[in-house]
This record gives sequence, structure tokens and C-alpha cells, in this order.
Amino acid sequence: MIDRLRRTLRVARWETARAGGGVDRRTLLAALALLLVVGGLVGGGLAAGVVGLDVDRDVYRVAVDDGSPYADAVESAPALTAVPVDGASLGTSADLIVRDVRGVPRDDGTIGGTAGGDSTVVGVVVSASDTEKGAAAAAEFREAVEAHNERLMADEANETAAFPIAVTLRYVSRTSGVDGGATLGGGGSTDGTAGDGATGGGGTSDGGTAGGDGSDSTGAVAAGGDGGDGDDGGLAVPSIGGGTFGAATVGSPGSISPPFPFVSLLLAFVFLVPMNFLIQAYGSSILDERTNRRGEPLLVTPLSPVEIVAGKTLPYVALAAAVTTLIALAVGGGPLSVVAVFPVALAFLGATFVGAMFARSFKELTFVTVGVSVLLTTYAFVPAIFTNVTPVALVSPLTLVVFDLQGEAVSAGDVLFATTPMSIGAGLLFALGLGVYREEDMFTQKPVGRKFLDALAVRLAPVGGDAHRGRGAGARGRLRALAPVALLTACAIPFVFVAELMAVALLFALPVTVSIPVLLVTIAFIEEVAKSVHLYAGFERGVFARTDRVAVAVGAASAVGFFLAEKATAVVQAVGLTELYVGRAAFGSVAGVGGLSVPVLVALAFAPLALHGVTTAVTAVGASRGRTRYVLTLALATLLHAAYNFAVVSVHG
Amino acid sequence: MIEVAGLRKTYGEFAAVVDSTFSVGEGEVFGIVGPNGAGKTTTLKVLSGLVEPTDGDVTVAGFDSDDPEMRRRLGFLPEESPLYEEMTPRSYLRFFADLYDVPGDVADERIESALDRLQLDHRERRLGDMSKGMKRKVAIARSLVNDPDVLVYDEPASGLDPVTTDSVLQFTRELREAGKTVVFSAHNLYHVESVCDRVVVMNEGRIVARGSVDGIRERHGETTYHVFSDVAPSRTDALADLADGEASGLADDEAGESDASPALTVEVGDRFRTAVPTMAAVEAVRDAVTAAGGEVVDIRTREPSLEDVFLDIVGRPMPGRYTAGTGDGSADEETGGQTPNEPEGAE
Repeated sequence: MIDRLRRTLRVARWETARAGGGVDRRTLLAALALLLVVGGLVGGGLAAGVVGLDVDRDVYRVAVDDGSPYADAVESAPALTAVPVDGASLGTSADLIVRDVRGVPRDDGTIGGTAGGDSTVVGVVVSASDTEKGAAAAAEFREAVEAHNERLMADEANETAAFPIAVTLRYVSRTSGVDGGATLGGGGSTDGTAGDGATGGGGTSDGGTAGGDGSDSTGAVAAGGDGGDGDDGGLAVPSIGGGTFGAATVGSPGSISPPFPFVSLLLAFVFLVPMNFLIQAYGSSILDERTNRRGEPLLVTPLSPVEIVAGKTLPYVALAAAVTTLIALAVGGGPLSVVAVFPVALAFLGATFVGAMFARSFKELTFVTVGVSVLLTTYAFVPAIFTNVTPVALVSPLTLVVFDLQGEAVSAGDVLFATTPMSIGAGLLFALGLGVYREEDMFTQKPVGRKFLDALAVRLAPVGGDAHRGRGAGARGRLRALAPVALLTACAIPFVFVAELMAVALLFALPVTVSIPVLLVTIAFIEEVAKSVHLYAGFERGVFARTDRVAVAVGAASAVGFFLAEKATAVVQAVGLTELYVGRAAFGSVAGVGGLSVPVLVALAFAPLALHGVTTAVTAVGASRGRTRYVLTLALATLLHAAYNFAVVSVHG
Repeated sequence: MIEVAGLRKTYGEFAAVVDSTFSVGEGEVFGIVGPNGAGKTTTLKVLSGLVEPTDGDVTVAGFDSDDPEMRRRLGFLPEESPLYEEMTPRSYLRFFADLYDVPGDVADERIESALDRLQLDHRERRLGDMSKGMKRKVAIARSLVNDPDVLVYDEPASGLDPVTTDSVLQFTRELREAGKTVVFSAHNLYHVESVCDRVVVMNEGRIVARGSVDGIRERHGETTYHVFSDVAPSRTDALADLADGEASGLADDEAGESDASPALTVEVGDRFRTAVPTMAAVEAVRDAVTAAGGEVVDIRTREPSLEDVFLDIVGRPMPGRYTAGTGDGSADEETGGQTPNEPEGAE
């Protein structure tokens, strides 16, 4: 083990020297100068507080009295800056004006006028300028007040009093999934009354100053029925706009208006852009080994392909870790940010390695690296837009970084959910590329698609035909030959998971009536491809005998592998993704099966296995008869699978 | 030192090597010859552990070909040897010595020694700036950094100029003298003849002949006697009869231009050369020349080259560039697309 590590480090040291030596002095100086300029600008900006993740600092001017209990909330919000309320004018000197409503509480619980007695703050009137900025300022103010209240409650010694639990039971008749789709998103409403209606709204006042209807998104008024009196120091949360944010974790897609993702955008930029440079260098280094058989002598040394690849990759992994850590420190993140982004870096490198092993030229490699970059950046960026909005955001590791920067608590399940698919996926990509890191494959000039099939076929064992008979294998031998089929399918699960998460994230914003059918077909297609593409590779490369019997056998093995590995997706339950309608459609839910008999439960549990068995056998038979038949049977299997998914969603909800 | 038994290597439906069996003794230089696609390179790659055999047993220095320990005892020179061009010969060789766990001081000594023997100067120049011959020498030096027992050289002198080629061949002979086992393949059969103790001839994945170069020549080739005289065939019926093949016993290809006209005698300068396969035929020519009033001015023996043997076995000439070996050990001769046995001076 130590010897292996030593050999790997030798290759790593050489790769570092070689990569450094491959850049001429002039280019190095130019890059250094560029780095200094950018670093100087960013550093200067950070020092001056104009660059970094505080771009939204002091964006909105809020006119509020210094004595107002809302002044503290404004003060604590970076995006808000307080201006004197006297003489403030909407749209010119202020984006938002907060005026306290004062009165004298009467014995009967009503509020009296302020004349002739000590008054107290019983409500608040918030006026916003009739512009988009005014609306955004109002939303920001509302969040600031919520956060302020949260902090006050967190400081409360009596936690039960601070965080009372109220349970409201409401019985509704069961409807089909799709029919009920509009309500399954649940929670929010657009009228501004329901979201916080249980605790806010409907304040009592006689001055006509409180208890607004919340329907006006720009000039809303909210009164704190029990929160605005200042007894517990909490503030009434103005009900502005959609009112979905409180219950947004289960909000329907149509009701969600994500904020402009400043932070996510910046993080995607600062973390992912350097990766593009890294993968260019790494991909070139790997492809360079394959060009003109340059790496052949290495294969004759005592080093294994794993040691060679590990050694060549290690410098880039170290560089990625260093860059990630530095950026995390620069933006004010901590270890969580590094833990979150590092798998993204690994995924970049893993995908680039496979791409470089498949590409025939540097030109083709460029397309591969650009594709990798776009795909992974999309995967990291798009879900992160919904940070603080829905669990979909946790699909992206960048969301963890946002949480880290916001100081929000993140559970271990969240971290695993956000980082595991990419980590495992990166490992499997390296394994895929390693399959063709051998003389027989790495120097051939085949198209990327054929190389991909080669990489899959390398991992398979012969089934049927002369090769199988020659092994003299019995039932155990046949099972041993089918095991790699199941294993390879199981290894596809992380990619299936990533692809499905991607589909969920991309389709999330569409109306339910569109997103669900598209999602069901998309997911069926993804899964059918994952179950059958290596079977096609096996038939095409002559690993499997082209008989129906063999096709059904490998199809069944693939179905079993998929069925068992699919159970791993139960992790989505941990982060509440199945609370979303699209999440439930994609990943299913175990809710609602209570009360069913054991045989029915067993039948339900194994129904997916039957589905996978049938569809994969169909595609395997097609694959055994050539590409055209494979494509046709793949389409047929996708339709069967989608129909099954639709039935499950309709019945199961 | 090397044992190959029942080696078979297939790529899908294509069989690159079929049922190949041979052994190579310690300190032997062993040649593998054959046309393109014969299976030479595949065989060498299997020996080096680069390619996994489909079937058969291969052991090198007592280790299976897939054993990393075997690779420690083997030096491999592929047909193409692109190097890491941003490195210098010293840094490149030192890197490979590191991979073989060769101690630094030992590695330095080996590297300098190998480069001295190969007469490679400019050891700190970038490899990318070097000529093909210099790079080839660095690649050969690379095969020696681990002081291997077995060296597998695929076309070591391919594409090099004559001076560098001689240098490489001489170096291979020195390796034999140093007790190394060398397996050597080449298109250029003169190279194989000049350095190999034993050879196998491969064609379409199979070994079609094996043994020492002399043994194969004896079995598959025939000695030819060239009788030089001042008598033209037209001047004597006896020579004309010989030209018709009536007493010569010459093979058609030895006779020269075509089956229909076995031109035994060709004009070479101011003389006539008559090629015959036996001493009895030599005597017949001598008698005919004397009877015609002329005289025999010279008789030379021409041993069959490996090219001749190859043609005899495979039934087609070696493709591309080749050099016809000559019995008198003359220098390389570029013959273009001619058959190797075409008589000297023939039009």
C-alpha cells in the first residue's frame, strides 16, 4: 500500500513538473500578471466593501423612526439602510416608509386613540414606492422583520413560549394526484392572508391603520395581533405579496417567485469558473498521453493504470482543493463550503477524465470540456437559485455554501444529499475511464460513442456462446457472468439520480400540468437508458451471444441491479424532496400505504422489479438485434415505463 | 527466459495471433519477422504485458506476463516512441528510473552509461527539439534504466538514417554480449539477420517457420552459384540448353525474369553471369563455356537472404521499404518495389 502510494506520488510530482514545464515563461508571466490584477481588484473591492457577496448591501432605503421597534430589524439587515422618517419621500429619498401606529390599549382589548394617554406601538404602516424596487424593498423588509423575530425568539429563555406548536387538522377528501396537483403544492396562497393568518393578520384597530388585507403588494399593512404589541419584543410580519415564503418549502411551482440569485450567481462564478481552467489543463494532460501513443511506455512500468491515473490526477485534485478553500475563505465561508464544493470539483475532473479518454483530438476534447462545464454548472447553479425557497435547492452543493454564508444550520442529511451523488458520480466516471486506460483501448481512434460502449463492455463478462461454454460453467458460472451486468446497472444509479434531480430542478418552475407528464416520460427514458445501454454495448462488442435467451437473462440481471440500487434513492426522503409534487412524482413516496395488507404491500414493493424486468428484457432483445431495433425497443420500454409511472402517480398521489 | 505456449489473441472476430508457441533462451537475440499484420507487434505487446492474451500461457523471466514483477525485469521499446517533449533526456530517464524504484545514484550512473554507449550528446536539450534518431536513442536508453533481463524491441531502427541504424544494431549486439535476452522485430530482414540468433517467421497471425537464421535459410532457401564468363548464351547451344532449364534445375525465380524465359545468363558489364543451383551445374556451364571457346573468369557463391526465405515461405515480397541481403555481405540496398531475387543488373 505504501509502495503504491509512493509510486502514485512520484507520478504526481512528475505531472506537476511536467504541467509547469509545459507552459512557457511568457505565458506564465502573463497569467501571473492577470492573476495579480484580478486579485488586486477583488482584494481592493473586498477591502472597500464593494465587491464580494455583499453586493446587495444597503440597496434599499427604509425610512424608519429611530425609536421604532422596527429600526433594529432594519439595522440588522445588510440590504436595508435606515433613513430619517421625517421628510422622507417615497421614490426619492426612500424606497419604503415604516410608520408606527400608536394607541392606548383599553380594558376590553380594543385600541383607543392616542390622545390623553401614554401610547404604545400597536401596529405599523408600511408604504412602498410603486416600483419593482419598492416591492423588492418591501419583501426584504418583511424578511428582515422575520429574521429579527427569529433572533428574539431564539434568545428567549422559555423555548416553549418562544416556539409554540399549533396543529390544525383539516380533513379533505382524497383526489387523484394530477387533479389535486394545484393544491398539493400546498401551503401558500397569493392573497396574503393565509400564509401567516394563524398568527398574524386581522389585527384589531380602530384607527383604520392596521389589519390590512395584504392584497396590495406594494403598500401592504400588517398588524401584529399578538406580535405587534411589543410584549415579547416580537414584531408583526408585514404580509406582503405572495406570502408563500413562510410555507414555501411545499409551495407549488407556480406560486414561487425566486429572488434574483445574486449569491448563487456569484458563487457559481467564483467557484466554478476556475474549474474550467483546471479541466482544460487536466484534459490536455490526459489526452496528451494518448496522442501518438506517448503514454505507452508508462503502461509497461510496474505501475498499474490506477496508480498512473491517480498520480496524474492528484495534482489537479490538490489544486482544486486549494482553490476551493481559498475561494471559500475569500467569500467568508467555512469548512462546509469546502466540503460542499469539493465534490463539484471532483465531478468536473471525473467527467473531464472520461472525456479525455474518449476524445480523439484536442478539438474534440474542447467540445467535451465545454459540455462538461455547461452541464455541471447548470446542475450546480439552477437549483441553487431556489435556496431558502424549496428543498429542490439542495440538489446543488452550492446551496450548502449559501447556507454556510448565511450561517444557517445544515443537517448531515442535507450535506449527504447535496454532495453524495456528485461524489459517487465522480468516482464512477473515473472508474469508467480507467476501464479503457489500457493499450488495447486508449490509443484507438474511435468516435466518442463507440469508446463509451467499449468502456462499458470492458466491465462485462461473456454470457452465452462459445466463450461461455468454454468456461464450462454451470448455474453458478452463469450467475457469476451476470453479476457484472447487475453491478454495472447499479453503478448507473448515481447518474440516474443526478439526471433525475436535474430534470426535477429544470422542470420545477413549469406549471404542474406540463411538468408532471414531461417529467414522467423523462424519468422513464433516463432509467431505461441506464438499464440497457451497457447491454447494447455487450451485444455490440461480442461479449454477449446474440440470442433471445441471453438477452432475457442479461435484461433480468440488469433489472435486479437497478431495483436493488434504486432503493438508495430513499435518501431523498431525508431532505423533504418528496414533499414536493414533482419530487414525489420523480422519486415516489411511501406515504399512504398504511392499512394495506401484507400481500398487497409485498406486491407493491416488487411491482417496480416486475416493471424493470419486462422493460429491460424488451430493450435487451432489441439490443441483441442491432442499433435500430435497440432504439425502437428503448422507445417502447420508455412508454411502458412512463405509463406505469403515470398510473402510480395517479393512484398513489 | 521466455516461454510462449499456445498464444492466441483476438480482437472481436479478428485473430491477430493464432496458436503461437516458442521459447527464447537467456542471452539470446530472438527475431520475429513477417509482413504487416502478421502478428509481430501483438506478440511483443503480449510479452511486455501491454496486451492481455485471449488464450495461452506466457511467462517472462519466470513471471506471468500480467505480473508487475515481470515488468520490473523487462525493457520495452515500442515501434513508435514519442517522448514527453518538454523534458530533457536526463529528466525523462530519471523519471522512468524513479518508477522502477532505481536509487538515484544508480539511476544517474545507468543513464549516463546508456547515453554514452548510444553516443547521445545534448543531454539537457528539450526532447521536443531533438531529431528522430536522438529521440530513438533516448527511448532505447529508457528501456535500460531498470537494468532489465529481457528487452523487447519493436522495429528499433525503424525510419532511422543508416548511421543511426548501424549504431542501434551495434548496440543490440552489445546487449547480447552483456547477457541480455532480446526479442527483436523488424521489417528490414537485414537487421534481423545481422543481430538475431534465431527467428520465427509469422504470417497472418501464425508462425510459419522457426529456427536459426542459417537453419531456416538451409530449409527454405538454396545456395546459388554465379558463374561469370565471356561467352554470350547465343554463342553456344550448350548454354542455350541450360537457359531452357534442361540441366540447371534452377527455380523459376532464380532464373530471373519470367517463367517462360528462365534467363539463366545475364549480361553484367562486359561479362555474362550464369546462375546455377548446384556444383554439377557449375561444371556444366564451365564445359559449355570452354566448348564455345571462352573462359570462366569468376565463380561466386550467393547464400539465400532472409528475404529469399521469406518470399519462399510467405509467397509474397516484404511490403514497403526493405533491403535485400546479399551473400557477400554488401551494404544495404534500396530496391524499391523489385522482388528481392531479381538479378543484379537486370533491366
